[in-house]
Amino acid sequence: MRRLRAVFEDFGDLLLFGGEAVAWTVRPPWRTELLLQQMAAIGVGSTFIVAITGLFSGMVLALQGNYAMRQFGAEGYVGGFVALSLVRELGPVFTGLMVTGRSGSAITTELGTMRVTEQIDAMESMAVNPVHYLVVPRVVASTLMMPVLAMVFSGTGYLGGYLIATYVSFIAPGPFLDHTRRMLEVEDLLHGLLKAVIFGVVVSLVATYRGYAATGGARGVGEATTRAVVMSSVSILVLDYVITFFAIG
Amino acid sequence: MAMIEVRGLWKAFGDKEVLRGIDLTVEPGKTFVVLGASGSGKTVLLKHVIGLLKPDRGSVRVDGVEMSGLHGLALTEARQVFGMVFQGAALFDSMTVFDNVAFPLKEKRRRISFDELSGRVVESLRVVDLGEDVLDQWPSQLSGGMRKRVALARALVADPKVVLYDEPTTGLDPITTDSVDQMINRAKERRGVTSMVISHDIASAFRVADRLAVLYDGKIAAQGTPEEVRRSEDPYVQRFLALWFEKQ
Repeated sequence: MRRLRAVFEDFGDLLLFGGEAVAWTVRPPWRTELLLQQMAAIGVGSTFIVAITGLFSGMVLALQGNYAMRQFGAEGYVGGFVALSLVRELGPVFTGLMVTGRSGSAITTELGTMRVTEQIDAMESMAVNPVHYLVVPRVVASTLMMPVLAMVFSGTGYLGGYLIATYVSFIAPGPFLDHTRRMLEVEDLLHGLLKAVIFGVVVSLVATYRGYAATGGARGVGEATTRAVVMSSVSILVLDYVITFFAIG
Repeated sequence: MAMIEVRGLWKAFGDKEVLRGIDLTVEPGKTFVVLGASGSGKTVLLKHVIGLLKPDRGSVRVDGVEMSGLHGLALTEARQVFGMVFQGAALFDSMTVFDNVAFPLKEKRRRISFDELSGRVVESLRVVDLGEDVLDQWPSQLSGGMRKRVALARALVADPKVVLYDEPTTGLDPITTDSVDQMINRAKERRGVTSMVISHDIASAFRVADRLAVLYDGKIAAQGTPEEVRRSEDPYVQRFLALWFEKQ
């Protein structure tokens, strides 16, 4: 019972922290330089790993799609299957998980170290709000870059799927592309982008919150990082189901 | 008017009462030292002064502003009068010495020119006996004493009215301790700042204090000029000071 109460208290603190971050987002001064730095770290820095993950996900989707649809003589639908799977599901979810592992953990470690070495207290003592200076640029950058990375994932994934479908499974390029055009709609793109935006907010808020609230030296920072990665990953998968359910359920 | 005025300050963490009715006054331009053993609540007291902690009871006024009732933007504004030197220096390890020292000034005056900023940073480093050769160094490249000096330069750069020192001489050798004491005195003389120093270093406390207080078990056991505290008849204060005076 005490443990359950602690979980709810922790979630309440996270929501309050999120509210504070939102309140500071709309207050000047605007720290454009810090925002660009974070966009480069979270976005540009994750592009390669997201592209590679996307490429292989698309390739395996093409193989599995061909394996399943061949039984009904519907190999031509592989293009649409790959595109829809990437854009609506795998793009935002895998990108969220990759950014959690790469950038989310780094954010928690950095802020946690700053917390336990009193750097955050020092910032406060200099009349600089740490949520404004440290949290807002990371949350905004993650929210802006996650959809871009999800598109990179889906784009490279579709390319990988196309290459495997046409050169390994010998599906004619015409039907592959044609079924993609017929099955994929703007609404599907928006569905995927909405998920990516939400995951961008969640990953960065959890990562900054865990780092900001870290206590107890190096061990505490390690524990905070582990909890941030676990909480972000589980949140992404749960929210993915909830959003999908409300969108098509 | 007093620069810092603490009245009836109480603070507990869970069942543990750390501060139990603290009263003290720091006059403008003076150095006030709070002496006490580890765990006596010195740092907790200091964090109340700058609003990093909120009291359970009592009031903390700095430059006429009640700190305990402030939150958010109002608290951030009220902190403009402070500079603070942390026990571990708390330099930003992702910034060079220049960026560390420039940070409070850049944040206070966002349109400041680079030339003026550089001049102020170099001048502030000069007060703590550091030259321009350290500007491009990273905190990890500096010794403990140098980190403390850079932290003091950072605390002074934006011309604060009040500088708070949390254990400024802990972990330093006697020569570096002496030079840190001199810098605290120099900051007071040259800049006229009001200083509040938290320490368990008795020798250092008697070198820099205009007034001092001895904290024991969450209460002030003795308070006054160094000479008055030395003559205190409180048994704890006598025992606390005796160890050091015997060594001398």
